[in-house]
Amino acid sequence: MPGKLVQDDIELIIENVRRGGGGKPPQRDGGDDGSSGGGRRDSSRPGQQRRYQTALVVGIVAILMFFMALASAYIVRRGSSGDWTPIHIPPILWVNTVILLASSATLELARRKLAKGDLGAFRQLWVATTVLGVLFLAGQYAGWRQLEAQGIFIATNPASSFFYIFTGAHAVHLFGGVAALLFVAVRKFERAKISRAAAAEVASYYWHFMDALWVFLLALIYVGR
Amino acid sequence: MRSSSDHKTIGLQYLWLALFSVFVGMALSLLLRFGLGGRLPFLADLAGGRQGGGTLAVLHGSLMVFFVLTAAPQAGFGSYFLPLQIGAREVAFPGLNRAAFWATVFSFAMITSSFFLPEAESGLNLWIAGVAIFCAASLANAINFSVTVIDLRGDGMSLPRLPLTVWAWFINALLGMLIFSILLAASTLLLADRLAGTQFFSLLTYLRAPHAIVSPNAETQFLWQRLFWFFAQAQVYVAMLPCFGIVTHLLATFARRPVWKERAVVLALCAVGVFGFCIWGEHMFSSGLNPYSPLVFAVLASSLGLPASILVLSWVGTLWKARLQLTTAALFAMGFVALFLTGGVSGVLLARSDVARAAGSSDFVTGHFHLVMGIAATFALLGGLFFWFPKMFGRRLDETLGKLHFGITFAGVYCVFLPMHWLGQVQTRENSSGTLASLGVPIFISAAMVITIGAQLIFLFNFAWSLARGEKAVERNPWRATTLEWSVSSPPPRDDFGATIPAVYRGAYEFGGPMAAPAAAATSAKRHQEDFRPQHLAP
Repeated sequence: MPGKLVQDDIELIIENVRRGGGGKPPQRDGGDDGSSGGGRRDSSRPGQQRRYQTALVVGIVAILMFFMALASAYIVRRGSSGDWTPIHIPPILWVNTVILLASSATLELARRKLAKGDLGAFRQLWVATTVLGVLFLAGQYAGWRQLEAQGIFIATNPASSFFYIFTGAHAVHLFGGVAALLFVAVRKFERAKISRAAAAEVASYYWHFMDALWVFLLALIYVGR
Repeated sequence: MRSSSDHKTIGLQYLWLALFSVFVGMALSLLLRFGLGGRLPFLADLAGGRQGGGTLAVLHGSLMVFFVLTAAPQAGFGSYFLPLQIGAREVAFPGLNRAAFWATVFSFAMITSSFFLPEAESGLNLWIAGVAIFCAASLANAINFSVTVIDLRGDGMSLPRLPLTVWAWFINALLGMLIFSILLAASTLLLADRLAGTQFFSLLTYLRAPHAIVSPNAETQFLWQRLFWFFAQAQVYVAMLPCFGIVTHLLATFARRPVWKERAVVLALCAVGVFGFCIWGEHMFSSGLNPYSPLVFAVLASSLGLPASILVLSWVGTLWKARLQLTTAALFAMGFVALFLTGGVSGVLLARSDVARAAGSSDFVTGHFHLVMGIAATFALLGGLFFWFPKMFGRRLDETLGKLHFGITFAGVYCVFLPMHWLGQVQTRENSSGTLASLGVPIFISAAMVITIGAQLIFLFNFAWSLARGEKAVERNPWRATTLEWSVSSPPPRDDFGATIPAVYRGAYEFGGPMAAPAAAATSAKRHQEDFRPQHLAP
């Protein structure tokens, strides 16, 4: 392997020289831990791996815009109406929040194990993260059932409508996150276009973003009671 | 046989979809003009029956705005030529590109069929869902394009060397990413209102407001028009930006001059995106996405002022004392400039609130909107088609027929839409078009319209004939253009560049004067005569 790495680095340098006229310098792939998981195969083509990270950034901006738009509708609707009946946040949502924050922690631990090359521990922590994610989704569903038991449905009043839309839209996006986690867990990376480290990095940033987004939405719902 | 996720195949598929839509849309506009819809059994409901008159106009608008003006310049030409022009073999995510195309087709089916559902209310729901899917597809496309430009540029293709077409597609992708996310959120709430009984937007206050609604039918129709304009106003920039890029590119190529103040043009393109988004976005956020809030066409139009002036100055500067090669593509690009200027002048009038008060359905707005957004953008599309046809199909469109088509169309659209402005002005002043109508202006408009649409048959014939029998484009670079797509055979090979992707050594617009080719590249005496340097020519 070391010999291969050196050769890759030379190719990188050549790439760097040929990329004239102010093009970006090629970056190491897979973030800070590109040495593990045999992920350097494609490093002679930097765009190959970097595109996933770029797509993640662009995608996050788009998703953020989507939720900001919903949030603005929420703020304007709340300010302009006389029919706003605040809802009580189901208590289980606080538990869910703790679960989601915990999943972010296990995810980071998993990536550290991966960086150290401890694939077994990585797998365990990664699966633990996925399970926590599924638990969160189940908890959100339970929260909906609690509200329904109180007789509060999506069409009951504007506040409940927004509650269901916010939690529903977030759950859909988080479901995508769970799918990404599962992908990284089961995918054989020996023949994939993307290295395990890079895939884990992209999936984990998306997951942290979902985490932060949930905290923001919860705060919005809490403040807007 | 090309794989169906090849970016060139997908680009062509978008263009075919647009071609189909534009001809259906034009047929509908004829029916509208002559009020014939009601006499055709399958259109009777749309034109004046159950759905309330005017739904036909919304169908015409939907086809044109979504599948022609929004999809063709960006997704169509962009999918085909963006990777080629930056030296990439594919877009960043070919599978996503294909999925976005088929989602667009699906939304086309939904939007079109929504007008024929027996119940107007469920038709409207289907329409909104179709628009939402269109927004999602455009969003996927925008993400794909921006990642492609950021990460997949070939060797030496630095940002200052990007062709302006790529800049326009790139900026438009970033803009579309923001706009379509917001529209997706709006349509989510709208659908929840209509299907789940929520009350995100208070429709009742809107319907009770100044417009007198006489019957439930008229209400649905009004709603339909309203929602259409809500989405259409967001598309103004998304449709125009790539057209700016294409026109600037064509003018430089055919004037054999570098783009005048190229940097300023890039900045102006950015400004179009930023201004457009800020004004539209500010409006969206302050109204809480409410589709029943006032439309901002007028403000949007006037916000274009500064960046548009820079673009116009650059076009004039590029053309100044240039010996323009009057090919059909160049003519259409010039036509775009003329139409854009005319539309800009009427846009200033529109920005005056007292004139704009009549907005919504008056002839003035119809005229203005069509001239700037519809016709001008179509001219840019046609220019791009005449320019890239040899590359896409390996044959050339017939120039004589093309010029005939251009001449009639150019004169025709002025004859149609300028009098429409007058009619609109008269209407706002005396609330009737009596004077002008008695002079036969409406009849004149109708006649001009028939001739103009008839002229499109010339184009259709030219297109079909050239595709099958047209003069073979033996040269790789018939227009002697500089960008990378002209360095490969026509049509380009499956992987775009064959064995090696050419490295880029210079900017995209090195035209002018007989250029002494560098010794290394001067393999033939002919090279010395050339007045341009392709981007991949080594120094």
